[in-house]
Amino acid sequence: MAFRATSTSWLGIALSVAALLGAVSCGKGGSGGEDPTPTPAKPTAYTLTVPAGFPTPVVPADNPLTNEGVALGRKLFYEKALSSTGTMSCGSCHQQSKAFTDGLPLAVGVDGVANPRGTMSLTNVLWSTQLTWDGAFTTLETQAQKPLENPIELHQLLATSVAKLQASAVYPPLFQAAFGTNTITTDLTLKALAQFERTLVSGNSRYDKFMQTRTGFSADERAGLQLYTTHIAPGSVRGAECFHCHTQPLMSSNYEGKFFNNGLDLTFADPGRGGLSKLAVDQGKFIAPTLRNIALTAPYMHDGRFKTLDEVLDHYSDHVQMASPNLDPNLILGINDPPFGTHMDLTATEKRQVIAFLKTLTDSTFIADKRFSDPN
Amino acid sequence: MKKYLLLPFLLVVFGAAGVLNSCKKDADSQPTVGTVSLELANMVGTQPLALDGTAYSTASGETFTVSTLKYYISNITFAKADGSTYAAPGEYHLIDASKSASTNFTVSKVPTGDYTGVSFVVGVDSTTTKGDPLALSGDLNPANAMYWAWATGHIFLKLEGTVTSASPNKALVCHIGGYRQPYSALVTAAPSFKGSTLQVRSGTTPKIRLSADVLKIFDGPTRFTLSSFPTTMMPSAASVQVAQNYAAGMFAVAGVQAN
Repeated sequence: MAFRATSTSWLGIALSVAALLGAVSCGKGGSGGEDPTPTPAKPTAYTLTVPAGFPTPVVPADNPLTNEGVALGRKLFYEKALSSTGTMSCGSCHQQSKAFTDGLPLAVGVDGVANPRGTMSLTNVLWSTQLTWDGAFTTLETQAQKPLENPIELHQLLATSVAKLQASAVYPPLFQAAFGTNTITTDLTLKALAQFERTLVSGNSRYDKFMQTRTGFSADERAGLQLYTTHIAPGSVRGAECFHCHTQPLMSSNYEGKFFNNGLDLTFADPGRGGLSKLAVDQGKFIAPTLRNIALTAPYMHDGRFKTLDEVLDHYSDHVQMASPNLDPNLILGINDPPFGTHMDLTATEKRQVIAFLKTLTDSTFIADKRFSDPN
Repeated sequence: MKKYLLLPFLLVVFGAAGVLNSCKKDADSQPTVGTVSLELANMVGTQPLALDGTAYSTASGETFTVSTLKYYISNITFAKADGSTYAAPGEYHLIDASKSASTNFTVSKVPTGDYTGVSFVVGVDSTTTKGDPLALSGDLNPANAMYWAWATGHIFLKLEGTVTSASPNKALVCHIGGYRQPYSALVTAAPSFKGSTLQVRSGTTPKIRLSADVLKIFDGPTRFTLSSFPTTMMPSAASVQVAQNYAAGMFAVAGVQAN
């Protein structure tokens, strides 16, 4: 401190006066009269609650979360005027009750045409550094344009959507509140949608409670978690290898941003990541999507080929195409019963235990959260 | 009248001088520090590492590709010629060959002076890696896919790829970790400055350019052939040998730049 020396009383007074003057000079406007022109109310910051142990999320500096922006994004997410037929919104395929999926093997758009891949869950999409099955997008702002405009999805150019919103009585004031302008643009529409998507945080499953208290799991669920997080030491330690790709705590590879060939096929009808990168080593690779709420997001895989979690476990245990090009090395090496075993070869009990664990990843508060539901 | 005007004037001037004085004193009372930049170039021998399926050769003529290379650098210590050292606290950096931004980082608050050496742990010290996973943030967070559950802690170094000279092709998987004896893979690398001096001054950011040679993971005190390279996934005698290899020769100082 600057004033360590014993002070005389006048010094104390001087300090008080100086402090007072400083306080007054820093004061906001003081009693200088009211501003005659009302300044528009600024959007208020949205309080994002990050579950314990989750990474620190990255929100683009040019699109901070605000209560007004999130509210607008939520309304737009469920706005059917964003489709050419007025029959579908984002929420048509991303249904909250199914952890923002649609229950279909392949997503179907306004014209009844199926996509080559299935709808992805939006659970914790805030943490995804790579979006969609092949990482075609790295920000939610750029990603949202595709399903909105794609002829086999909502099939309406954003320019048309913007004109519809601008002509409505409802939306211009909402954009004013969120972004300080009632002139609606594609950019602001995408920003609002991204803001809402970033609030779709799921971190209140039984698994999360177990991680915090180490209690509350049945013996099967505990054994399932152990299998999930264990790499096989052939002949000595049995495991199911899940965690390599479906990494805790997000239970996906979206944060790390990696793609894998999980041995579904010997040749690839859909090249996945390889279709974008054009690299031979990326052929047949896809993101490992989140397993949070996995019990709600059937069917499974990018093409929805597996109807149940039993079928998924059967695949990883018994049916991985071991000669598939670019097969993930952890699957190549993941053989529980050497020297005669040729696959992971989980027992029926182990499969049941892994599935019991996967079901603990269901977050019932997430699918019931009113903040994420259709406000219209 | 004059008296009444003068007194508050003096008081304010005195107050302001006090504030200014305190600012100056605070700056003076801190030791002078600077920032050091570290840059990692991941290599295979003399070639820059690419994760696009490029095949590389070992000294014995085996070929392999790399799809993943990630490792931690932590506990960075700078040494002076007189033997004194400065250990930078709280530095945990995950280098990921697929993320170019991760191969550059800075260490701030390094006391000014001339340093003649650097050392760092390739991995995460036991105190930190033993901690509650729910409390691990940033580069240490389990979401980076560098963490084993069930009290084994972080994976210190992860190399994945394919041995293409093997028939059929063989998975190359090397996950090194573990801090418990007898299989502790905690190792320190101390690449030589080769006579260069790192001049840390306030206001400048000198840079240490390091290269990290993947080939040295297989070839050091213990030479492994890729055809029989152990799948080191759990702490083991082999994982310790691999760690000793990369501690000995993987990292080299390519240059020390003044600013």
